[in-house]
Amino acid sequence: MRPFDPAILRTLPQARRPLATLAAIGVAQGAATIGTAFALSSVVVAVVKGMPLGHPAAYLALLFVFRGTLALAGERVAAAAGTSVSGALREQLLSRWLAQTADERPDPATGVTLASQGAASVEPYVARYLPALVSAAVVPVLAVLVLVFVDWLSALVVVLTLPLLPLFAALIGATTRDATERRWGALADLSGHFLDVVRGLPTLVAYGRGDRQVKTIGEVSQAHRRTTMVTLRLAFLSSAALELLATICVAIVAVTVGLRLTHGSIDLGTGLVAILLAPEAYWPIRRVGAEFHSAADGAEALAAAIPMLDVVSTMPTTAGPGTLSARDLGYTYPGSTEPVIEGLDLTIAPGLTVLTGPSGCGKSTLLELLAGLRRPSAGSVTAPPTHLVTQRPFLTTASIRDNLVMGAGRAVPDDEIWATLRELELDGVVAAQRQGLDTPLGDDGRGLSAGQRARLVLARAGLGSADVVLLDEPTAHLDDDSAALVHSVIRRMARDRRVVAVTHRPELLALADQHVPLLTRSIPAGREVRA
Amino acid sequence: MNLPSARVLTAGGLGATALGSGVALTATSGWLVVRASEQPVILTLLTAIVAVRTFGMARPVFRYWERLRSHDAALDELATARTRLYAALVPLTPGRLARRGRAAMLTGVVDDLTERVEAQVRVTVPILTTALTGAATAVLCAVVEPAAGAAVAALLVVAGATTTIAWRVESRGMADLTAARGDVTRTTELVASQALDLQAVGAQSVAINLVRTAQRRADALIRRQSWGRAATAATIPFATALATVVCAAVAVGSDHTAPVAALLVLAPFSLAEVFGALPEAARALARAQEAGVRLTQLLDERPAVAASPATSTSSAPDDPARAGTPHLRLSGVCASWDGIGNALDERDLEVEPGQVVAVTGPSGCGKSTMLAVLARQLDHNAGSYTVDGVEATDLDLESVRSLFAVVDDEPHVFATSVRENLRLASAEADDSEVSEALHAAGLGDWVRSLPDGLDTKLGTGARGLSGGERARLSIARALLSRRPVILLDEPVAHLDHPTAVAVLRDLVRSRAGRSVVVVSHRPEGLEGAQQTLPWDDATMELAHG
Repeated sequence: MRPFDPAILRTLPQARRPLATLAAIGVAQGAATIGTAFALSSVVVAVVKGMPLGHPAAYLALLFVFRGTLALAGERVAAAAGTSVSGALREQLLSRWLAQTADERPDPATGVTLASQGAASVEPYVARYLPALVSAAVVPVLAVLVLVFVDWLSALVVVLTLPLLPLFAALIGATTRDATERRWGALADLSGHFLDVVRGLPTLVAYGRGDRQVKTIGEVSQAHRRTTMVTLRLAFLSSAALELLATICVAIVAVTVGLRLTHGSIDLGTGLVAILLAPEAYWPIRRVGAEFHSAADGAEALAAAIPMLDVVSTMPTTAGPGTLSARDLGYTYPGSTEPVIEGLDLTIAPGLTVLTGPSGCGKSTLLELLAGLRRPSAGSVTAPPTHLVTQRPFLTTASIRDNLVMGAGRAVPDDEIWATLRELELDGVVAAQRQGLDTPLGDDGRGLSAGQRARLVLARAGLGSADVVLLDEPTAHLDDDSAALVHSVIRRMARDRRVVAVTHRPELLALADQHVPLLTRSIPAGREVRA
Repeated sequence: MNLPSARVLTAGGLGATALGSGVALTATSGWLVVRASEQPVILTLLTAIVAVRTFGMARPVFRYWERLRSHDAALDELATARTRLYAALVPLTPGRLARRGRAAMLTGVVDDLTERVEAQVRVTVPILTTALTGAATAVLCAVVEPAAGAAVAALLVVAGATTTIAWRVESRGMADLTAARGDVTRTTELVASQALDLQAVGAQSVAINLVRTAQRRADALIRRQSWGRAATAATIPFATALATVVCAAVAVGSDHTAPVAALLVLAPFSLAEVFGALPEAARALARAQEAGVRLTQLLDERPAVAASPATSTSSAPDDPARAGTPHLRLSGVCASWDGIGNALDERDLEVEPGQVVAVTGPSGCGKSTMLAVLARQLDHNAGSYTVDGVEATDLDLESVRSLFAVVDDEPHVFATSVRENLRLASAEADDSEVSEALHAAGLGDWVRSLPDGLDTKLGTGARGLSGGERARLSIARALLSRRPVILLDEPVAHLDHPTAVAVLRDLVRSRAGRSVVVVSHRPEGLEGAQQTLPWDDATMELAHG
């Protein structure tokens, strides 16, 4: 895994500014750290030599005020950058998926994980790890450069010993890798056990096995502790070894400085600066290692997300004014070998078309293909803009108005909304609400009856600008009275638009202008059967 | 927060020794360099050289030791806390757990517990370490020069005060921020999982706006919360500068030797590393407290079901299979989850032995609540519920519960073998019974396709299952349990139409004398039911926004 992938700047333009500010503050902080060594040593020299304290003290105070300001800005910028980069990533991913067909999108489970937990883990990566990375890249270089001018011998010692740190880290990593990997599987099982049992608690209680797990949890947690400690001991030992190595390196600088001081070959100020600067060359590198464990998830999420954002894809163009047809259409679900639709030719006439067929013959899939939400595996679809009412239409916890106009793509005046509601006999129900159109809907349309919900989503289709309305089982779970009402609404809607409905209901079939029966594998049995 | 245990105090002491060695390293190095510049005989420097070397070695060694001790203490405490939490959750399950998104809610509980226990390592140890090291430094400085000691002590007080402010700022915003983050997750999941339904109605931009609005709010709260940490991070360098200047002035005015004067000047600066951990500790403390509040709220709930009556007429025998299928009747039953509004309002239901009953209706009409009353997960507050003519509340709780096998809409698959996943429903079942149940649930071909058959490991980190396979596995469990009534709560909510039809059809076919009650907002596959009750009289009663 790379510590930082510059591709993030290309694929997430919104991240450029916060990351640039973060880097700028990191560089300034590095410079201020170097400056502090000089200021502090001049104060010490002034005290020791009995020189006036005024100038060095003022210099030091100013520098610390500067450092304080930078620290303030650093915390603020890091927090803001963390959340804005993770938010930008989330938004980009979702926008990309909404612009793709169902075939190209990752499956919902993967998508949900990446856009929620994945994007969230980018926050500590940006807010905590990247600043550490910047200072690790800037401070050692600055420290060595300055040392070259102040005291080249110390600089030489640092340059010769600095590479030992990463080398040593790699060596430790290589020798412990096998042991760590061997333990990793066991550790993952043990640490996942508690979560697994708690998530399964309803099942365990339902079968009367809730209490039996108490003892197991204690035992597994203790086993987890022992295994974790073995792993941690190794990790802590290696970081202690690195720290010791860094200390030894600083000690070498100190010894050479000390010896030269006793010989009088350098002055006190220079010696102090060298001794204060030398540790700065080593410790940022160690800090990066310490922060990395909290950032690994974020780096992984970015590595998974960036290729998805790099893909350029468009929805299939189906535009063809007037005609709604499929030619030699075939469709196979990703990962499946059996086509669900094969060699389908279809022309939908104006008016109401009803598609019928046995379960699993691909009726819903056909509607999604006509709506351009799936890419045909074979053949083609020609269709004007469509509005598809799926089996589980999207309704959210916004106002009734927002739910109605969400797909309209234009400002819809209230008069028009009320007119549409009246046509669907929903105006009374909505007017009876205390806040009318501003009344918030419950999650998933909670609070409305199934019949009201079915009419509400039809009203939304009516307010849309699409010429073709596709309906997937619009009345499947309604009682006969509600269904009859919805059927008459559908009939009326088909006066000025093309309506294609998939249904099992003979009552709706009786109202159709055109009936397309589909057999298994969606080969139409016979066409243009006028009702 | 609980009082720190002895082990945590030990870890704090070790940490303080490590940090103290760091402070001493800087101070003695300063002394040494200044002394060296006076060009003495090298032998006179030897003691100081040894001290510098010792401090240099002591720092990593003690830090290593501290980290081992504190992590071991935290993990041990985690083991105890987990056992305790789990035992406390059992009586609250499932009636007092969130009714939707239960798996996510339980994951949150586990995270909260970890957060609270880890506060030992991330809060108690750093604060203890800082306080001890700071105090020791101040005392040592005071011994040399009281005024310098006072300056270091003042620095310590400022650091403590600003950390307290940071903690207050973090805490104040924590509840709002948690809610805002929850909103971001909720809208993100909505859009990611319903992308096709959104595209279908052309609501892409509306969807993105939902997420963006939630994100903006979280952004603003995160920025506001960072003020506390930022103020701490800014104040400490400023106070350090002041303390250094004061120490320098004191050193100039005193008659100490030059090396000792240098030591005094460097003392406040050497504490910088010590204070570095404070802003993060303030944040971790606020988070741990917030997690603790959430846990307490959950664990303070009263169980949703009263315990068995003292004089329970234990008419239901222990082995449900021998009991025969009971006759169930609800009449005028009301039940409430929150004690405020009734989720189930005056409903009647009769399930004759061996019957398949389907209840359909929109979300929120009380279908799932009815199942909870039947399975004795929730007590009803009005009406009567009888099992074979006896009031259910007069019967032993466990024996009524053992009549029902519940298949809910979020069936859990444990990270263990297929066999153990099923046998939790019936510990005595042998392989042939397990295979039979799998076959009846329509998983015969599936299990034959598995690399290790019944020994194949499922769940986290192992083989993934589709939604249909999960639902079928849960049904196989119910069949294996031989419990006489199977309750299905939206069993096909996450399945596509053909799978839903097939799953329910297979269940009805293989039920072998059991009663089945299915509630669903989609009636697919329920054509075989003897009784279908459409509960679609919900009137429009929306929340007041």
